[in-house]
Amino acid sequence: MTADIYTPERDLGTPAGHGDATLHVTIDGATVDVPAGTSVMRAAALAGRSVPKLCATDTLAPFGSCRMCLVEVDGVRGTPASCTTPCTDGMVVTTHSDELARLRRGVMELYLTDHPADCAGCARGNCEMQSLAATVGVAEIRYPRREPARQHAPYDETNPYFAYDPAACIVCSRCVRACSETQGTFALTIAGRGNGSVVTPGGTDFFSSECVSCGACVQACPTSALTEKSVIQLGMPTRVVETTCAYCGVGCTFRAEVSDHGGDTRVVRMIPSKAGGANEGHSCVKGRFAYGYAHHPDRQLHPMVRESIDDEWRVVSWEEAIATVASGFKAIQAKYGVGAIGGITSSRCTDEEVYVVQQMVRAGFGNNNVDTCARVCHSPTGYGLKQTFGTSAGTQDFASVADADVILLIGANPTDAHPVFASRMKRRLREGARLIVADPRRIDLVRTPHVEAAYHLPLQPGTNVAFVNAMAHVAVTEGLHDEAFLRERCENVDGYLAFISDPQHSPEAVEVITGVPAAQLREAARLYASAPNAAIYYGLGVTEHSQGSTMVMGMANLAMITGNIGRRGVGVNPLRGQNNVQGSCDMGSFPHELPGYRHVANDDVRGIYEQRWGRALDPEPGLRIPNMFDSALAGTFRGVYIQGEDLAQSDPNTQHVEAALRAMDLVVLQDLFLNQTARFAHVFLPGTSFLEKDGTFINAERRINRVRPVFAPLQGKDEWQITSEIAQAMGYPMHYDNAAQIMDEIAATTPTFAGVSFATLDAEGSMQWPVNAAAPHGTPTMHVNEFVRGKGNLVETVYVPTTERANRRYPLILTTGRILTQYNVGAQTRRTENNAWHLEDILEIHPADAEMRGIATGDLVELSSRVGSTTLRAHVSSRMPPGVVYTTFHHPVTGANVVTTENSDWATNCPEYKVTAVQVGVANVRRETDLEAQRRQSTVEYAGTT
Amino acid sequence: MTTRPEVRMGNDIARQFAHLSHDRATAAIAGHLHMFWEPRMIRALRGAVAAGDDDVDPLLRDAAAKL
Amino acid sequence: MSPVTTWVPQDAAALSVGADEVAAALSAAGAQVRRNGSRGLLWAEPLVEVESDAGRVGFAEVTPADIPRVMAVDTAHPGYLGVVDDHPWLSGQQRVSFARVGLVEPTSLSSYEEHDGWLGLRRALSMSRAAVVEEVVASGLRGRGGAGFPAGIKWRTVAERDAPQKFVCCNFDEGDSGTFADRMIVEGDPFTLIEGMAIAGYAVGATEGYVYVRSEYPHAVATLRHAIDLAYEQGFLGADALGSGVRFELYVRVGAGAYICGEESSMLDSLEGKRGEVRAKPPIPAISGLFGAPTLVNNVLTLCAVPAILASGGAAYAQLGRGRSLGTQVFQLAGNVARGGIVELPFGVTLRELVEDWGGGTRSGRPVRAVQVGGPLGAYVAPHQLDTPMDYEEFAGIEAMVGHGGIVVFDDTVDMARMARFAFEFCSVESCGKCTPCRLGSARGVDVMDEVLAGRNVEANLTLINDLCETMTKGSLCAMGGLTPMPVRSALRHWPEDFEKRAQREEVR
Repeated sequence: MTADIYTPERDLGTPAGHGDATLHVTIDGATVDVPAGTSVMRAAALAGRSVPKLCATDTLAPFGSCRMCLVEVDGVRGTPASCTTPCTDGMVVTTHSDELARLRRGVMELYLTDHPADCAGCARGNCEMQSLAATVGVAEIRYPRREPARQHAPYDETNPYFAYDPAACIVCSRCVRACSETQGTFALTIAGRGNGSVVTPGGTDFFSSECVSCGACVQACPTSALTEKSVIQLGMPTRVVETTCAYCGVGCTFRAEVSDHGGDTRVVRMIPSKAGGANEGHSCVKGRFAYGYAHHPDRQLHPMVRESIDDEWRVVSWEEAIATVASGFKAIQAKYGVGAIGGITSSRCTDEEVYVVQQMVRAGFGNNNVDTCARVCHSPTGYGLKQTFGTSAGTQDFASVADADVILLIGANPTDAHPVFASRMKRRLREGARLIVADPRRIDLVRTPHVEAAYHLPLQPGTNVAFVNAMAHVAVTEGLHDEAFLRERCENVDGYLAFISDPQHSPEAVEVITGVPAAQLREAARLYASAPNAAIYYGLGVTEHSQGSTMVMGMANLAMITGNIGRRGVGVNPLRGQNNVQGSCDMGSFPHELPGYRHVANDDVRGIYEQRWGRALDPEPGLRIPNMFDSALAGTFRGVYIQGEDLAQSDPNTQHVEAALRAMDLVVLQDLFLNQTARFAHVFLPGTSFLEKDGTFINAERRINRVRPVFAPLQGKDEWQITSEIAQAMGYPMHYDNAAQIMDEIAATTPTFAGVSFATLDAEGSMQWPVNAAAPHGTPTMHVNEFVRGKGNLVETVYVPTTERANRRYPLILTTGRILTQYNVGAQTRRTENNAWHLEDILEIHPADAEMRGIATGDLVELSSRVGSTTLRAHVSSRMPPGVVYTTFHHPVTGANVVTTENSDWATNCPEYKVTAVQVGVANVRRETDLEAQRRQSTVEYAGTT
Repeated sequence: MTTRPEVRMGNDIARQFAHLSHDRATAAIAGHLHMFWEPRMIRALRGAVAAGDDDVDPLLRDAAAKL
Repeated sequence: MSPVTTWVPQDAAALSVGADEVAAALSAAGAQVRRNGSRGLLWAEPLVEVESDAGRVGFAEVTPADIPRVMAVDTAHPGYLGVVDDHPWLSGQQRVSFARVGLVEPTSLSSYEEHDGWLGLRRALSMSRAAVVEEVVASGLRGRGGAGFPAGIKWRTVAERDAPQKFVCCNFDEGDSGTFADRMIVEGDPFTLIEGMAIAGYAVGATEGYVYVRSEYPHAVATLRHAIDLAYEQGFLGADALGSGVRFELYVRVGAGAYICGEESSMLDSLEGKRGEVRAKPPIPAISGLFGAPTLVNNVLTLCAVPAILASGGAAYAQLGRGRSLGTQVFQLAGNVARGGIVELPFGVTLRELVEDWGGGTRSGRPVRAVQVGGPLGAYVAPHQLDTPMDYEEFAGIEAMVGHGGIVVFDDTVDMARMARFAFEFCSVESCGKCTPCRLGSARGVDVMDEVLAGRNVEANLTLINDLCETMTKGSLCAMGGLTPMPVRSALRHWPEDFEKRAQREEVR
């Protein structure tokens, strides 16, 4: 997990074999048993007889170009390359002989003729070739001195995070293959041929190329040709801490490679861990490179208080800050009642940090007014999957996609929002799986190098339920459903089949609603329903609607009626937005549920915690975030503790949110930065970045990953400690010695976590819940033999249209999404070099809608809805269907939520971000200056941030 | 936009169950409110019903009576 | 009186020496002009034939000025060849694959049928797939692209794979210097290739075929595409070939100018739309080839031998040739040779017979000093080895290769050290750049040969050349880097004086 001395992760040369047969192989006298499909190179490494190599690495398919790994095989002519030669049973291999040594020296001598003599890579200690040259023993270079081929090729440092030095390149193609095989972007290629072969990002520089800066090429490079700028600047790392990325819900495992110089600990680079269950050695531009915000000058390291939000902040001691919070909350409760305060947990924080917040609210505050930012993203997933399957979580692990034959992708844009999972998905699609994309916008996956969707169904925003019902209607009425599965595994079968067979759900009937041609929808439904393994993946394009919960249940229905549940390659899988959405929900952040999704009204469950926490717990549900706002405006909710969420930027209908925040007596914000919400806060408590946290995150596949501190909290306290101290100051005794103790309590009280502890996680690497006596190593696939709730529940999913409709005044529908290089409200990514790619939010608009309004790409436009208006720059694009516009929401200056409304999911109050009726018009020149001024001001406000 | 939040949210719930028979619908709505709504929200809804708020969906009104 | 009927080749080699101008002049003079492929007597092009009672009589090296005498069948014309079929240069050959080339109009289906076209396909479709494969096995046919792998075994491997999709790919990336047989047969008789591929598709269970043509062959591409269109129209290709219910679709793909795409796995990469780059084996293409599907890859000449094999039986074909080199080989005479062109003969003819009897020695009239056989990666054969029979194993025995049957003749003015340098240079330009011994070894080979040519440290540098040759031969990924040392070593072996004399010259200075 952590190593005090820097060693790179072990490289066995080629990927693991997956054959059923076991082969017995003898290598230099040592014997080893390997699965069929294992290369001689890997078998040799496993037998402890490593073979020299340069072009091989175990994350890429064998290539056979460097010819350093030649071996002799009994009964085989010549000297085959061990990387591309598969083992056979009984094979006898010799890895070292005079001839092999001569050949390797011959090849190495050639390499050295093509490499700069004053190799800068040596200084960086980063060059596999230099160390191998010493190993194979090249005494002298006998060839006539000529200038290496790429000596004068331009040094490319256009990418903010890494540099490309063609002179140091050995043309092994590892970068090119990483870009194609691992990332699936195909930005890199070899240009020219023969001795003129050169690696190039498509004939331009890295920044101008198709490169998505995932870092796979840099990681794959065996020399210093591709090097992180941080390594050039800081030198090579001295130790490694294995931890988990804190951006999206993919939850990539990283090796934080760190150097300690005179007590100044710096992250030299983040290298994705091959042992990481979620990412298996891959990364994206955010996790790999965008960690600099932890040391950004904007980072607040001292507690601050102020009497009124119109006052200046005053730096205070921790003691004073905590006392202020405690006395303030107690005063409110004394005056307005126990239920007048609450807390909001963050999906960015660890399970342990979240658990103590909900504990403080339930036991310390004495109410259930605790909610989480998952409210505004995946709460419908929680509701929908619990109703139908019995538990609020995705059904598969990510690796499952490798067995899918058809992938139905709804309301998700993985190449931007979940890039590492997208790469897995693209790999499977390149292998021949078929893809159905249901999304108003033509996302990249519809057509991208070597991937093309079988169907892109550009449905109207807000019509998901009508769409999914039509899919199910086709499956059932055309007899493509799995009758046996339904009878054995599900309930309400007859009622549902009768409901869904009604002609009102036919593709022909709903075409007028969804805008999807009936014939296309029918074909797509047949493709999904007929596939051996069909898997559904979805994102916020499903949940953030007034029928988000219904849609989640509709997808669960579709999977159940076609028997696509309970094995690899199938399932219903939410792509979670935040790193710990799953965990924060698991930890009892919802106001009606204790940890493990158990209702507060359940006396037995409440009893467990009452005994543990020593306080009686409220059996009634508490307020959700939007209810807190409403109650604040009504005067009954007056104090809130906010753990790392920017309500004022991320929640819908900004004016309403700001009014609610202003109406409160005490707003306590715990965060890294003074965000938009800080403008309404009375107490600011500095938080910790993931590099300082000790705990766990749970990703979208229920995988519990360890987060380990790279350095001590910069502001002096763990976040769970801050919470505990507030609780204590309020008179509720709450004490933990460390985060591991908190997890022990979670395990002791929550059946799905029964087998989890930091020690077991450290031993296993990671585990997917449920982890219990029946599944001590975790559960990759859920609902295998029966559903968590027993029988799968088929819910009659009636399509109830949203009340938000385009009209004469607001004739367009606005929908929102993310872009690769920025993350959510941008609090972190805007404080990194990622701004080089995306400095402002852009409104995408169809050419016809643009022309009608006289809008051209680059124009400033005013975007207005019934609740507000904002100004941003337009991009005319046929990615959008006519009548629908799209923007991202990463920049506070855009204020996309100024226009979004109070509409929400009927079951969970998850906001309807994805459907807002708007008008768009060219902004006048005065507004242009306004915006520029606003932008300048925002730059000041985020001091040195943007 | 003068509809009270509890009425707006309650109406959203009511519409989801409108396809059911009156008895089943009101039971389902009441069940949902009981499971997910904080007491002061239910009080507010009852207040709106008692005040004869025109915006209250009849199904919601009947469901509120079951709470 | 009906007009005189004349035949003027439309073969690219004939066109390059004015065949179109001659054809136009004949037309203008009132002759009926029909266009054929070249008879293979490239030394006689433009070779115009005139139909007469005796048969088609020929005139060599015709120019527009010769038209009146040609039309009058003036036997005193210096280019008069008599009845072409009876000309010893042709009558001494045994044409199997090239039987129709030069005789027929290339894209005339009726002419093809009249000359025994489609017999092989018709017979094949009447047999089981396995029986067709065994017929090819029995013929002893070996891959004509150069490697000489038994074609029937390859066919059997593909045929036995159980896969939803298989392909037949024809390698028509004829890039070896001194070779032109593939081009001539496709330009002169394209239906033979189409028939061969259809038979192969049926035999191995492939429903799609691709012909990969080098971009330098625009005439062949046009002829082949036209012929494929005609074959579709007449039902020889498509969903229901010859009404047999067998589907076979055939497509032409044009390369982008890389020699390495003649290597089969690079060709598959290129066909997939990628940069042509050699793939490591295993897996072999027969198991995982185009788009990962089992793929039969054969050279043009291999596939063009198939219709005759199926028409007359594998045993008849195996009667020709010697040892394990059975059937005929289409030899291509080029370089410094008096009479260049196509000579199709059973294996076993000696190199001397080809160079001296058919080729007539050097064009310059000087003594033959070296003959490179099998393309730029083939060995230089020395005069004392000229009696070696053309036979895969015999040539391997003298550290040379038959290859694709290209024969390039050099007279005694050739500097073999420069030829050795050229071998490396060719490789350094044409290597795909994937494996290190080939990519860098070839470039360093040039550097070292420059030193040798300059007479510097010759002994040490020749030792280095030998070491480099070993590294490239044993270390390279494919035959490109693996065989580049073959011409180098043959030059060093047979003409050491060309390398060493430079050292003496240097010492004299």
